[in-house]
Amino acid sequence: MTTIFTCEDTLESILTCIYDAWGSGLGQQNLRLLVEPVVELELFCEYRHVDADSDKVNKVISSIQKKISTYAYQMIYRCAMSPSPQKADIIYRFLLYGFHYGRSITDMIQIPAVTAIFEVNRAVGNEAHYFREFVRFLSMKGNVLVSHIEPKSNVLTFIAPHFQDRMPSENWMIIDDNRKSAVIHPSDQDYYLTALTDDEFIRLHDLEDTSDPFIGLWKEFFDTIAITARKNTRCQRNLIPIWYRKHTPEFQ
Amino acid sequence: MELVEKNLTLQEKLHILADAAKYDVACTSSGVDRRGRKGSLGNSCADGICHSFAADGRCVSLLKILQSNECVYDCKYCLNRASNDRVRTTFTPEEICQLVIEFYRRNYIEGLFLSSGVVKHPTYTMELMYRSIYLLRNQYHFNGYIHVKAIPNAPQELIEKIGYLTDRMSINLELPTAEGLHDLAPHKTQSSILKPMSFVQNGIAEHRLSVGKEALMDRSSANRYLSGTIFDTARQDRIGESSAYHSSIAAIQSADSFCAPAKSRPDPFVPAGQSTQMIIGATGENDYQLLTTTQKLYQQFDLKRVFFSAYVPLNEDALLPALDTAPPLLREHRLYQADWLLRFYGFQAHDLLSADRPNFNIFLDPKCDWALRHLELFPIEINTADYQTLLKVPGIGNKSAYRIINARKGGSLDFDALKKIGVVLKRARYFITCRGRMQYHLRIDEDFITRQLTGEEHHSAWDIEHPQTYRQLSLFDTQLSLIK
Repeated sequence: MTTIFTCEDTLESILTCIYDAWGSGLGQQNLRLLVEPVVELELFCEYRHVDADSDKVNKVISSIQKKISTYAYQMIYRCAMSPSPQKADIIYRFLLYGFHYGRSITDMIQIPAVTAIFEVNRAVGNEAHYFREFVRFLSMKGNVLVSHIEPKSNVLTFIAPHFQDRMPSENWMIIDDNRKSAVIHPSDQDYYLTALTDDEFIRLHDLEDTSDPFIGLWKEFFDTIAITARKNTRCQRNLIPIWYRKHTPEFQ
Repeated sequence: MELVEKNLTLQEKLHILADAAKYDVACTSSGVDRRGRKGSLGNSCADGICHSFAADGRCVSLLKILQSNECVYDCKYCLNRASNDRVRTTFTPEEICQLVIEFYRRNYIEGLFLSSGVVKHPTYTMELMYRSIYLLRNQYHFNGYIHVKAIPNAPQELIEKIGYLTDRMSINLELPTAEGLHDLAPHKTQSSILKPMSFVQNGIAEHRLSVGKEALMDRSSANRYLSGTIFDTARQDRIGESSAYHSSIAAIQSADSFCAPAKSRPDPFVPAGQSTQMIIGATGENDYQLLTTTQKLYQQFDLKRVFFSAYVPLNEDALLPALDTAPPLLREHRLYQADWLLRFYGFQAHDLLSADRPNFNIFLDPKCDWALRHLELFPIEINTADYQTLLKVPGIGNKSAYRIINARKGGSLDFDALKKIGVVLKRARYFITCRGRMQYHLRIDEDFITRQLTGEEHHSAWDIEHPQTYRQLSLFDTQLSLIK
């Protein structure tokens, strides 16, 4: 009988879940890991819910960094931010090999368990990079810049340092509409990550002000800069897929 | 004569001056890493960041505008030539600064690309551009990317002053031959273009030496595993003439014209290097001439990039292609592919083309074409070949070659693993073996592989030439029967 360890969709829970699965002594072929919510229950399986435990998390993180590498931990972190429900299992299977081979494991793409985490890691990294490019700020009253994004992966922690470096003396916030969380950066201070309550979220949406004259100027520029004789919509859609365009004013 | 319109709104001006700038190619924001500073706005990222993609699929990274579309020159191919009847206008430096800052804050752009028509005189124009850039850097505290196009015949002092404020400078070569330039751009001469280019090159080298780097620009770090790249040859030439070179540097330093202001760390001079662009298809040059010119520009002027611009007919003239000529997009694409082979794959222009075969194959990309002419080198064993050899295989790029080298340390690779690594097997499978075996039993025969590869390539080539049309299905493919 297979045992399925389930946990919440946070880095801490996933790492605790891996710790418990490892320590259960069931054998890796007899267990699987799954991130909640579990949509379809399977027959002949035992489900075990695991809650986050900071001691276990610290143990897992430090042994990944010591016994494998910091780069491996970064891969695991990125993987944990992906929307895939399989991610806990992917990380667990990667670690099975990782603790055996050590530092060199991140290069061994020919091992299927490594291929799996490599692909998820790359997808999250690419998405984070796209959002560095395609985030658009609205300038609101009181010199505050506000941006809404709807990413598939949880990319806020990847893009915030970029904007912190770029606009250190501006007040800005980036809101993840899907996860109702936000990065807030007051001018000349460090940014912080926060969860938004439903009330706050709705209030922020109501405050939005699209009367900014520079939106019109930007659209004018964007439409003018294309060369009609070279029109190529397919190429454009490859480079900026339509689902990224939800909050970009030039495509509204 | 055209009117200089006085009462345009900012939006109308932006429309006119962006419309006039759109035929300039370089819109890259790459080549320099610069951290942000408190109190300033902006940083710069060496990988480059594209913020959007226009309807033609080209990236929008910088605010690409002209300072002015007034022009006293009459280059035949140009939209803004003096003899064209167009509304003329000029941005004030404050308008440019305001647009850059406000667009940048909203994350629309990565910086400014400023070019200009020649208002009154090259010196006057360059002075105006300098005022815009100076204001943007010093009064508006903009710390992002700036690319400025130098005007031919502008005085060196102005180019130098602008060089300390910008990340990249470029001077358009326009046409690869002096004759072409003489016919189509009568007010420009090749020396008026090459002189500022070598001036900027020396400025960059001087700055790099002063901060303890080597004189030549940094190239892709993976190039150190390659031998015989175009940059190695350039470096050897440099060493050969080193005594002459060092004395010229010493002369520049003693002349005191070029010394950075006395500070603990000198201001960088054009840190992202310089670039240029050539128009493809307006005159009769062949691909071999274009590619050799490109290689020479990289070697002699240490350019960071050379851009190609498929000629879009805008003006009617006996010396130019007719107005209904389609822009040679596929040719431009092939030239860019070859440019990458020069810069990242250790190829040289004469490997790819020769005086007997001066043009690229329409049906095959330059690397496949090269590989088919050198079948004696293949197949290559993936598990033992070195980096340079792996790069010669069609379907293997820098990233996949690098991953192959690292992955095989932990065990041998098979075709499934190669697919995961990112090798394009539909091209590579004719040229490689894994553990001594090819993927299928394939003949290594030029005609056979050509037929296989052109079948694949034909579709993508057609898509590039005809971006907006759809193709009628046909039982008898006439294009293919043309080759063999």
